[in-house]
Amino acid sequence: MAGTVIGEGLSVEGDITSDEEVVVQGNLRGKLTSSDAVSIGPSSVVQADIAGQSVSIAGQVTGDITAPERVDIQAGGRLVGDVKAARFTIADGASFKGAVDMEV
Amino acid sequence: MSQSSIIGAGTVVRGNLEGEGSLEIYGRVEGDVSTTGEVLVGEGGAVLGDVTAAKISVSGAVQGDLRGSEAVLLERGAKVVGDLSAPRVGIANGALVRGSVRTEGEPAPAAKRAAGPGLKPATFAAKPVAKTEPKPPALSRVSEPLEAAAPARPKEKAPERRPPPPVLPSLGKGAKGKKKKDRDE
Repeated sequence: MAGTVIGEGLSVEGDITSDEEVVVQGNLRGKLTSSDAVSIGPSSVVQADIAGQSVSIAGQVTGDITAPERVDIQAGGRLVGDVKAARFTIADGASFKGAVDMEV
Repeated sequence: MSQSSIIGAGTVVRGNLEGEGSLEIYGRVEGDVSTTGEVLVGEGGAVLGDVTAAKISVSGAVQGDLRGSEAVLLERGAKVVGDLSAPRVGIANGALVRGSVRTEGEPAPAAKRAAGPGLKPATFAAKPVAKTEPKPPALSRVSEPLEAAAPARPKEKAPERRPPPPVLPSLGKGAKGKKKKDRDE
């Protein structure tokens, strides 16, 4: 069980700061920072800059993503924003618009 | 499961949370919380802001008003600075409260609540629906506003009164003047 879950039907307007896993299935507007994994569920709409150890996106995200480990856009996921990560994957069926910085 | 949300112990939210479903708070929320379901502020959880929900249970700390459309329950260890209002308010032994408490609104009878889910539309109209549902006649009569029944105050005709006759001072003008002169001399 994840530490923090923003369930479907819940909207958060503001900043979330966490040192545990964060799962967003609802809506978020603001900023999301975690020192653990972050995952954005398929039904969620997020307008926020996201920073996490690793970030997985299956929903709609507008904002910049920063992760020291990895960023994954799942099939059906949609990201508009820049990505800064050591590893970055875009699944078949995902959409992405933005710049990538992999610190080469 | 997808309808329930959790703010974990290591999480801080600065902003407002709003929506449907239940919410458990073990971390810190600096902002208002409003849901159509249940809100639990667990041990170690803290909310700086108003909480509005159907049912609110608190074992942690809240600085703000608690408004429950069904109930507000403060468990042992709860610390609340703010006002409580709900049809049912429970304060357990060992809970700390500073604020005013109002038990207002009609607590939903068990039969009515059981019928609720069937009648409830898919959207978040749970709260208003519960109040506009057709009630048994005995209940509706009780819940009618009492002001209408209040009798109009009978108009009294003021009896003609005259002011009392003027009271004349016992000392005349001359006497007063004389006295003053005596003192001056």
